Amino acid sequence: MSILDLASVNKVYGGKVHAVKDLDLTVEQGEIVALLGSSGCGKTSTLRMIAGFEEVTSGTITLQGQEIHALPPARRGVAMAFEGYSLYPPLTVRENIAFALKSERLAETEADARVKEVAHLVEIEDILERYPSSISGGQQQRASLARALIRKAVLHLLDEPMGQLEPQLRALLRGRIKHFIQERGLTAILVTHDQTEANALADRIAVMEDGELQQFGTPEALKERPANLFTGTFIGEPPMNVFEAEVRIDNGRLAFLLGDDTSLDYDAGAFSSDLRQRLVHAPRVTVGVRPHAVRIADGGLAARVAVNQWLGDQTHISAEFAGSTIVSVIHDRMQVSEGDRIPITISSDDLHLFDSASGTAISHGGSLA
Amino acid sequence: MSGIRIDNLTKRYKQQTVLDGISLEVPKGEILALFGASGAGKTVLLRCIAGAVEPDEGRVYLSGNDVTDLPPEDRGVGMAFQNFALFPHMSAENNIASPLEARRSSRDQIAAGVRKVAKLLKIEHVLGHEPKALSNGQKQRTALARALVAEPDVLLLDDPLRNVDAKLRFEMRLELPRLLAGRGATVIYVTQDYKEAMALGHSIAVLDGGRITQIGTPEDIYLRPANMEISRLFGDPGINLLNVVPERDETGVYVTLSDQKLHLAPGYDAVVGKAAVIGLRPEALRFADQGIPVEIEAETPFNEKTVTLTQTKRGRELFLSRPAGTPGPSHGAAHIAADGENAILFDRISGARITPFPRADEEAA
Repeated sequence: MSILDLASVNKVYGGKVHAVKDLDLTVEQGEIVALLGSSGCGKTSTLRMIAGFEEVTSGTITLQGQEIHALPPARRGVAMAFEGYSLYPPLTVRENIAFALKSERLAETEADARVKEVAHLVEIEDILERYPSSISGGQQQRASLARALIRKAVLHLLDEPMGQLEPQLRALLRGRIKHFIQERGLTAILVTHDQTEANALADRIAVMEDGELQQFGTPEALKERPANLFTGTFIGEPPMNVFEAEVRIDNGRLAFLLGDDTSLDYDAGAFSSDLRQRLVHAPRVTVGVRPHAVRIADGGLAARVAVNQWLGDQTHISAEFAGSTIVSVIHDRMQVSEGDRIPITISSDDLHLFDSASGTAISHGGSLA
Repeated sequence: MSGIRIDNLTKRYKQQTVLDGISLEVPKGEILALFGASGAGKTVLLRCIAGAVEPDEGRVYLSGNDVTDLPPEDRGVGMAFQNFALFPHMSAENNIASPLEARRSSRDQIAAGVRKVAKLLKIEHVLGHEPKALSNGQKQRTALARALVAEPDVLLLDDPLRNVDAKLRFEMRLELPRLLAGRGATVIYVTQDYKEAMALGHSIAVLDGGRITQIGTPEDIYLRPANMEISRLFGDPGINLLNVVPERDETGVYVTLSDQKLHLAPGYDAVVGKAAVIGLRPEALRFADQGIPVEIEAETPFNEKTVTLTQTKRGRELFLSRPAGTPGPSHGAAHIAADGENAILFDRISGARITPFPRADEEAA
């Protein structure tokens, strides 16, 4: 059941900056949705319109069947943890968090238990009696997050909720918060520029760029079926390898001619007939391959190692390939160094083809997108 | 020969000691990654080397020469910063040229030098633009070009990739080693990102509270961290740290995790009965048919790996990671098997790593 609906929402600042363009977005009950994009993509404007901090220029926002975009923030029934949506300085951290429970009129013991629970969740139990001015930015951010999560709101809005935390704590809190939200069946929208955060927390991710929604799907769908070259190269660390190619089909073979006389050559049967048709008519494509799909195995195409970077649990290898550079991620440690020749293989299942002009996805693996 | 040598450097501001007897050496042409949280003293150390800050004690040697008393401009040092620090009213070209102008190089030399470094950094097409017309990535490349243009013997890079987007950060992380190696400069690269430190540093110095707590290769730091804190900072998700008291049976020394015995590598006899902490990397744990019983709290599918947060019956949280695409449970009850051979042990009181004796690494060699 959908709980939140954005229909043809536009935001124009000062009559000229079109920050959000014709946005349609539906959030289901009990779902965590991430709005992901780089700065200026429109994600924060979108969240602020849902919260009521910004007016919509046109379009409607409906929460639980009621149009809310003209209501003041306090009457929308949403809980928020915003950057700069600060704690009340005269109250302790505990009082700040408990304040969010006021409207629930709970018995003191129950309120205490709820505060304790969220304080434990975000690891601030030891600073509950402190005042906001005497704690660090990261602790303030966690207190603000606790204050939002403790509420039994219809919708929780979280704006870069963990931006100031150290990476190890962030990883732990992501796991805990996802569990907390799911267990209680809460609905949440998260804004972030960090794809790791979006991947870690969200059931579905809305990728935005230049005010437009690029793709809205599960982390898996974004990874396996990117709708266009933007999403394909934006999602993924390290980013997807990209090559311009010309397709040649003959004698039951289908080859992608890359630069420098390198060609990726496959049995044509690995590609569906409608895809082959499409490629015959428009043979110039952009080929995308994720780094973890670039395998180093005997019998492959020649590449020359440029850099080998070991990160503890994985190895990133960058190599000269097809007149360009290809990046491979492997999970073991690999003892190759600059100048070494390595054989590279890429399965046809791991190819993403994009229209070179528009960037729209043509196919994933052997079938049309 | 050492490109950079620092001998017992100390710097105090009023009552506070920000650098406390720092000594380190970087061989010529190598990159040292200087890793630490904000406030650890990284930037002050860089500024002492550059000559912008005068140390209270200690000496700085660059290319074998004592430069402690030399002004910044006579030290042959190039610098780039996380906030780019470009001159706003000057074109990218003039920004890059400024170190050569200061040296009073000829017009032709300047033009040639700028062109060469701009080509290397792929910013030839924006040389005429002022900083405000440049993207963050272009700004950062311009700042790097300015640091490189005078071909300094020593290059100090203060978290230069901090303010660029993830995609560019990856590109630059993979490009930088070749870019720097080609010029023979000795580099100190400051970062708060452990992956950057491991990827770029021939060696890594970990700075904490004005002191170096470990200096070594990426392998030393990751596999043999000097203390619990360093083990925690290198790894994402972080290493699992659990309080244990090692015991001994006929097979050897073991620890007990949720009623399951986990035998350690040889050499830990001295810690039997002592309060210790075991460190198990998420990639050293795996789901199995039997082992430590856990409940799965949350699963995170990343592109290259899948990370699972689990909880033991006693409420201990354990992270597991496995390569993407390998099967595994995503919710409910499960069992975890651990590789005790690769566990790292720490003294619970001091936090220091307990070195197995005889050391396993020496035995292997």
